[in-house]
Amino acid sequence: MPAALAAFEFPPVSHLFEWPVVILDGTPLAINKTVVLTGAAALLTIGFFVLGSRKRALVPSGFQNLAESSYELVEENIAVEVMGAEDGKRWTPFLTSLFFFIFFMNIFEVIPGIQFPPTSRIAIPALLAIIVWLMMIFLGMKTQGVGGYFKSSLFPPGVPKVLYLLVTPIEFISTFLVRPFSHAVRLFANMMAGHILLTTFALLSAALWLGKWNAIFLPLPVVGGAAMTGFEVLVAVLQAYIFTILTAVYIGGSLHPEH
Amino acid sequence: MKMRSRILAVAALAAGLVVAVPGVASASGESVGVCIVESPAGEEIVGLTAEELEEEQVEALGEAADECVEAPNPVVPEINELIWGGIFFLIVLVGLMKFAVPALKKGMADREERIRDDLEQAEKAKVDGQEQLSSYEQQLADAREEAARIIEEARASADGVRQELIAQAEQDAAGVRERANVDIAAATERATSDLQAQVGELAIELAEKVVEHSLDHDTQTALIENYINEVGSSSE
Amino acid sequence: MTILTILAEITGDIEVGLKAMGYGLAAIGPGIGIGYLVGNAVQAMARQPEAAGMVRTTMFLGIAFAEALALFGFVLFFL
Repeated sequence: MPAALAAFEFPPVSHLFEWPVVILDGTPLAINKTVVLTGAAALLTIGFFVLGSRKRALVPSGFQNLAESSYELVEENIAVEVMGAEDGKRWTPFLTSLFFFIFFMNIFEVIPGIQFPPTSRIAIPALLAIIVWLMMIFLGMKTQGVGGYFKSSLFPPGVPKVLYLLVTPIEFISTFLVRPFSHAVRLFANMMAGHILLTTFALLSAALWLGKWNAIFLPLPVVGGAAMTGFEVLVAVLQAYIFTILTAVYIGGSLHPEH
Repeated sequence: MKMRSRILAVAALAAGLVVAVPGVASASGESVGVCIVESPAGEEIVGLTAEELEEEQVEALGEAADECVEAPNPVVPEINELIWGGIFFLIVLVGLMKFAVPALKKGMADREERIRDDLEQAEKAKVDGQEQLSSYEQQLADAREEAARIIEEARASADGVRQELIAQAEQDAAGVRERANVDIAAATERATSDLQAQVGELAIELAEKVVEHSLDHDTQTALIENYINEVGSSSE
Repeated sequence: MTILTILAEITGDIEVGLKAMGYGLAAIGPGIGIGYLVGNAVQAMARQPEAAGMVRTTMFLGIAFAEALALFGFVLFFL
């Protein structure tokens, strides 16, 4: 192993995600970097829409235009597309808050100086997924009745009676267990993988920069890191989109059982 | 101009990212070695040689290393993050649903209404214009019809005049002819009566001559022929 | 440093390597699936450009479901 690379020790993965507690250490309300960034994302989301909706000029410009087209983006491409016109319009505010909350948390991954997405900690995606999961079950029971909901989700119509032996356990596992798990893990794992990827390129760049002659290879990880940063911007948007669209699918499925 | 400044801003941002990514991210981790040395077990053995190490110390060191390598599991959610995340998500939901979205929707609905009004007005103006245009066209058509009518009338009256003139001329001609016929008839009559008188005179003359000379056949014939010739030449 | 820690690191390395292999194996299926899925979606969009919006939404949904399998492998890497 060359001397320069021997100095390059990759930190354990957990060190990329563990951040010291700032205040209130030891209590359930301890505040660390994840919490601070989550709060920042919440403020950004609210600020974005409050500022965008404050002036209400008839001819929208700048911020207002951005906020309105963002809202319409969620409404048209996610809510109405998946849930239909009526339910879609009713659920757009919820989906919009979800989308932009997640998006702002994701985009911290590439903001210089912050470069840490709170969604790469399992707590946040798990929390959101559990909220969506509870809403899905609650809404299903509310619109179809308790028995009706479990009947429509566990015993899909149009299946031969014998097959229910096979279908019902599968449906139960996929709907009530795998759904929230995959919903949370999809976002979490994507952001975590992205963070590790960016850190790898950054550490490689740093190691080559410190090594004497290795610096001639420096452009490779630097260009790779820049490209990956661009890619992570795409991932940040895409994962927020997918999380939101899956939420719409789950909630829409509870409101309108499959025929 | 605006576009270019935007592109410049994006380029500057990208350049900043390229510079900042390695710098900041490299500060975010620490190596396993540093972690072990900085742990309590690590600090205890600093300065000792391998022979001086006791078994417990080695075990403690191994545990510290394990902790450093494995550390807290990233897949297990932390309770404080869950709580804070929930609070913040609630804040986002309430903030958006109570304040931002109604205002946003109202603004969009206002604009929609305004646009609809404008469109309706434009439609109305268009209909009005169409009406005006059709009325103008009607007027134009009327005028054209009028002109055609006038021309037709003029032509008709001209025709009338022509017919009248022709009739007049024909009448005139007929009158002239009539008069001529009358004249001719009169002249003929006069000539006939003249002739009759002359013939009578001549007959008397002839009878005188016949009576004067006792005439032979040849002379008689010659006389008659002479007489006829005389009549023919005089009647001509 | 000491033989023990070195040993611990070696066994750790093997364990990590096995986990990484597991993740690699877990990524094969979804990789094939997503490729197949997107290819067919592109075909569908090329045949019926007017249905592109619907196809795209469904495509992302399908990708999300297929990708979840690979991500389970990724999470198991850390368990």
